[in-house]
This record gives sequence, C-alpha cells and structure tokens, in this order.
Amino acid sequence: MIRRIVVMTQPHRLLNWLLPGIFLLAWLVVCETGLAPPYLLPHPKDVLATASSYLFGDAGQAAYAGRFFEDLTASATRVLLGFGLAVIAGIPLGVLSGRLALVNRLLSTTINALRAVPGISWLPLAMVWFGIGIKTTVFLVALAAFFPIYLNAEDGARQVSPTLLQAGAMMGVRRLRGTFAILLPAAMPSIITGLRLGMGISWAYLVLGELTGVPNGLGALIMDARMLGRIDIIVVGIILIALIGRLCDVGLHYALRLSFKSARRIP
Amino acid sequence: MKPRLQIISAEHRSAASPVVLDVEKVSKRFATNGSGNITVLQNISFTVRRGEFICIVGRSGCGKSTLLNILAGFMPPSAGAVRLNGRPAGHPGPDRCVVFQEDALFAWLTVKENIAFGLKGHAMTRREKEREVDRFLSLVGLTDFADYLPAEISGGMKQRVSLARVLILRPEILLMDEPFAALDAQTREEMQDLLLRLWSELSHTIVFVTHDVGEAALLADRVLLFDRAPGRIKEEIRIALPRPRQKEDDGYYALCRSITAKIKAL
Repeated sequence: MIRRIVVMTQPHRLLNWLLPGIFLLAWLVVCETGLAPPYLLPHPKDVLATASSYLFGDAGQAAYAGRFFEDLTASATRVLLGFGLAVIAGIPLGVLSGRLALVNRLLSTTINALRAVPGISWLPLAMVWFGIGIKTTVFLVALAAFFPIYLNAEDGARQVSPTLLQAGAMMGVRRLRGTFAILLPAAMPSIITGLRLGMGISWAYLVLGELTGVPNGLGALIMDARMLGRIDIIVVGIILIALIGRLCDVGLHYALRLSFKSARRIP
Repeated sequence: MKPRLQIISAEHRSAASPVVLDVEKVSKRFATNGSGNITVLQNISFTVRRGEFICIVGRSGCGKSTLLNILAGFMPPSAGAVRLNGRPAGHPGPDRCVVFQEDALFAWLTVKENIAFGLKGHAMTRREKEREVDRFLSLVGLTDFADYLPAEISGGMKQRVSLARVLILRPEILLMDEPFAALDAQTREEMQDLLLRLWSELSHTIVFVTHDVGEAALLADRVLLFDRAPGRIKEEIRIALPRPRQKEDDGYYALCRSITAKIKAL
C-alpha cells in the first residue's frame, strides 16, 4: 500500500489550490482596479471581515454576527437526513433493479419519468404537503439525491461480471452472502460515484429547500441577504457552502474507505 | 485437517480407478432471436475416472465452453444427465471448481484473501485456515505476493491465484476453460509445468478445454476431439506418451501433427 501513498507528493497537493488561487487573484484585480463596483462584487477584504463576524462574532454585535454554527447545524441536519433517506432507498432499489429484470421493469419507467421533473417543480407541492420548515427541505434533498444514487447503484450492479458470481457460486457462496461478499464490493466504484454525486446535489437542493422562509440555515442566509442587498453575505454563504460541500465529499470518501475494503482498494 | 496427499503416477492411474464424472447423452439447445433453436451440443457421452486428465479439443464455436458450463452447473443441459460420483450434479458447488479463461479474481481482495475466500464457513480454526492458505500460496509459488492486489500482479500470477483458490477446496473435479489461452508463450509453458506438477502431487481429476493441440498433447491422458457445430465427440484419442513429456520428442510431434490433421479434416 505504501507505493500508492508515495505518488501523492507535495507538488500534486499544491495543484489542488492552483485554481482557487487564480480565482482569488482575479477577484482582487477586478476589485482593486474598479472594474466591478462594490455593490456588484464586494472587495475580498470586506468579505473576509463579514465572514469573520459571521463565523466568530458575538450575536447582536452586527447583523448576522455569530449565526454560523446555528445555520450550519440546521443545514447539515437537513442534508444528512435527506441524503440518508436517499441512500436507504437508492442503494437497495438500484442494486435490485440492476440484477433483477422484474424489478427493473417495475421501476425504470416511473423513476426515469420522475427524474425528468426538475426539482424546483416539487417545491410548491412539497410546501403544500409538508409546510414550511425542515420536512420540505429534507423531502427535496432526499428526492434529488435519490436519482444519482439509484442510477449508479443500478449501473454498477448490472455491470458486475457474471463470471465473478459464477466463481462465488462454485466456491459455495449462496445468494445472500454472494450479494454482500461479491455483488456489492464489485459494484462499489459505481456506488461511490452515485453517493458523491448525491451528496453534491444534496447541498444544491438544500439551498432550494431553504428558500421557503425557514429562519435558519445557509440557504436561508443567502436568500435573506439578497432581500437586504447584502452582497458580501451572499458571497460568504456561497464560499461556505462550497467549502462544506467539499469537506462532506472528502469525509464521505474517507468514511467509505474506512468501512469497506472494496472502497479502499479500487483498482 | 490433514492434506489428502496421495501420489499417483501415470502408470498407477489404471482403468480400474472409479468413475468420478459421468456425462450421459447431454445436449444443449439455445433459443435464437425469433428463428427457433440452435443446437450447440448433441448427444455428448463420456466418463472421467479419478485422477484422469482429459482435454477437450475442438475449433472455436464447437460448444466446448458450453459443455464446461454445464458440467460446472452454471447452466442446465437441454437433455441428458451429468453425474458426479453417481449422483446427479445440480447447482454449482465446491465439488466442481472452475478455472476461468478471463480474470475472475476479486479485485478488492489480496492474493491471500482471494485464496482464502472459499474457506469461509468451513469448519476449521483460523490458524488451520491460515496454514492451508500458506501451503497453497507456496504450492503455486506466490508466497512473496500474498498481500498484493490482483491489479498489481501479472496475468500468469493471476491464473496461479485462480488455481490455488479452487485447489484449496479439494474439488472432486477441476474444470479448466482455456485457462492459459490469454498468456504469452513462455508464461503458458510455465503454467503447464506448474499444473502438471500440482496434478502429480495432488492427483486431481481434470477436464481441460483448449483449442491448442500442442497443449492437449502435452497434458492429457485422453483427448476428446469435438466436431464442428453442433458439438459432438468426433473421436477419443488415448495418449500413451510417457511422462514427463518433452516438446522436442518425436512421438510428441507426430501426435500433434496427427491431431491437427484430424481437426483440419472436420
């Protein structure tokens, strides 16, 4: 295993930050030269000040000061609940549909039709059904994250080589154990892709769900700031969601690698 | 668990050893798109005695691999019966193990874990299992590669793992589906030597499918020559060449030439 770690030497790690660095530089240039006025794009140092007040300030000191952890907790709870529901439904249904023609027949038309409906169209219905609050957001997140998770699990399960399952059968592996010992590990690369896509989409739909007048959460923060014309807060919100989204992706990958050999040893 | 090591040399594998595999009038038809049936195998009958090395030779598309799949239990015959030690051979199981042509190792398991895979659920202590795995690792010469992943070893090594993971289960019969066809010439020869060595040490019963006449002449006690589609046994050739056989030997050449001529005449 050591050989693989050696490949990730320092210059490669720095490469991760090259593009963000360039963006920051361009942002600085645009603001310093007056190419974009502050009401369209605030200066990085103002955004930094706002961010620090939002993250670490005392509540009541300024508008939005110190609200970050409350917003983060609210948003993270919604994302994790919605994503969790999508995983619980998406992986088993996807794997079944990938392996059993009958299940596939039963599900594929419906799911592919529903998939064509943009998530935002569900918003009014969700509000009627679940009212304003956590349920609507969780519903939207779960719905949106379900499709990539389901589709990738289905694809992964379908593409598992029959030879692998035959090899298992001849070594005395019955169906149930074969599912966990062979089918799922063999489909793992696709399943992971689905989970990562689903996690990304979860954050996107979180913002959508929080547009609907909930008092807290990162999406609510952005909508609130738009109404008050606080561009700097919007930018802070966007950057925070990007950072948290990336952290979730890394965390998800790490958790999977920690729990499954097949995630650790993708060829 | 004591290894059932039993050394039987070619001379002792007489016609008196018991029949392990009995294939009786096996046929296989597949439904084609709209236009009815296509017969792939027709009335195949033969028996294999304990410790025998049988090669099935024929042109590609003659149903050799289909027959092997039926023997393994991966698909049922359309007619006829396959019996293992007198009992109908049903679902696939560790009594009839297959070494596949393509890479069928579990990519997420190390060499060692792949070899140990079939032992899960066996009534053995962890230490006994480890000892068995180590023994088979060394039998196929992979002791130093125990912790490598399949993606990190060569094609020849992968087939060694494929061999070890089924030999460790002590199958009644070992089914091999062109296992060395994808290897380069030199590796193939090494693998043939290895297989013959393991066979003489562990005295397995082997049914080996190949399209390589030279390979069949080198390995087999008996060659079943398959006719073109639909597959039928055209001829059964008993090979009396003494072992170990040499590829430089005149008798070996003559045999290869005569089998090749027979295949061309099909």
